[in-house]
Amino acid sequence: MKKIETNLADLKKDIGAFYKPELHHFIVMNAVQSGDKMEVQWFFNDYAYPGETTCFYALISPEEEVPGIKDIVASAWVAEAELVDLMNIKVENTMKGFVLEPDFESGPLLKKK
Amino acid sequence: MGRQYEIPVGAQHISLLEPLHFKFTTENEKIIRTDANVYYVHRGIEQACCSKFKFRQVSFVVGRVCGLCSISHTTAYSQVAEKLLKIDIPKRAKYLRMLVIELDRIHSHLLCLSHVAENSGFEALFMKTMQYREFSMELLEAVCGNRIQYDFSIVGGVARDLKPEMGQLILQRLKNFMPQLEELVGIYQHNRTLSLKNKGVGVLSKDDAMRLNVVGPLARAAGLAVDVRNETEDLLPWKEVGFEMITDTAGDVHARNMIRLREIYISIRIIQNIINGLPESALVTETKAFPDGEGTVRLEAPRGELFYYAKGNKTQVLERLKIKAPTFSNVAGMVHAFTGNEYGSAAAIIASYDPCLSCTAR
Repeated sequence: MKKIETNLADLKKDIGAFYKPELHHFIVMNAVQSGDKMEVQWFFNDYAYPGETTCFYALISPEEEVPGIKDIVASAWVAEAELVDLMNIKVENTMKGFVLEPDFESGPLLKKK
Repeated sequence: MGRQYEIPVGAQHISLLEPLHFKFTTENEKIIRTDANVYYVHRGIEQACCSKFKFRQVSFVVGRVCGLCSISHTTAYSQVAEKLLKIDIPKRAKYLRMLVIELDRIHSHLLCLSHVAENSGFEALFMKTMQYREFSMELLEAVCGNRIQYDFSIVGGVARDLKPEMGQLILQRLKNFMPQLEELVGIYQHNRTLSLKNKGVGVLSKDDAMRLNVVGPLARAAGLAVDVRNETEDLLPWKEVGFEMITDTAGDVHARNMIRLREIYISIRIIQNIINGLPESALVTETKAFPDGEGTVRLEAPRGELFYYAKGNKTQVLERLKIKAPTFSNVAGMVHAFTGNEYGSAAAIIASYDPCLSCTAR
């Protein structure tokens, strides 16, 4: 797995420069708690053999809003909606209520303090 | 322009035996918009795996993510755990994992085909396909001990060996199944009633499959040659046992049927090669290490790419486990491919997607 660090300001530029639909397959988004920060990850795979996985990641604070990449990766709205529900991450133009019911407890996958 | 109607389908619906909700906006019977949500049965398995269970127990927990592709989950998790433990497993264990994965693919594909037949109004074919599928369930029970949710892959290898007489039984049952498979191919390919309901219906183009990152038979039926078995040789040697990529170009329900049927032939060939060339070795690599660092694994489940991410912290309990099921990747493509179809075709289209919300909502 190749990890590429980015930040919220450069995220869309970095992923936009990298992602080509005919060459890359968007796998999913993920988030991992890292102290008071959250490491948000975007996984891609190369269609060509041997299929290398590339992970863009950005360390964010809980109150920061992550830019959506739906305009770059058309199917990313599903992964973004899941992170909003399960990890209580704010994602641009994404509402709660896709994976969990809208009145469900926020961020059930967050570690309890 | 006609009057528009909104028609809900699911979460409990006769043609959708999964907790998935679609809301179709229709105009003159044509679907012009589809909304979906999957929020009915989230079970918190990822959280449980990182809080209530030790990493060796997790392979048994993720085996409960899905009844149909349990072996894919236990194998993918075992593989990512083995990466974090920095161990390689014995070759016989790799072969046995592939054998059960392919047996599982046969029963899963036949189940999907039977649902397509049923949702297309062909109940006799539904019953025939389910009847012919039964041999694969019996073989899985014989090999793994359970018809579903078999805890076959464990961290470090596999839990059970395959005796030579069991291998011969599998070969004999596969031989008996071949004429039945030929019969099914003939019906799914040429039956006029089924063709009217399946051909040109629910079309997903190759460009849309690529743009929407679709995986599995749904992608391959659209001409997108994606199959993890074609890409990763380091964890399981698929090409060594005769894997071959199958694609189509039509992208409709009929093409998905044919992709699944043709893939069953490949699965049979792989199983025969595995049994005839099963290497002698131990079944498990033992280690007392704890998972450290992070890693990912991709594996071709019956519905497409299954993805596991794990992060360890040198303790018994994982820091984070992320599961991405194939149906999760296909949600965007599924929603897209309804547009422009008759509402009356929705049931067959849904079945041809082979959605598994048990995996997706885990």
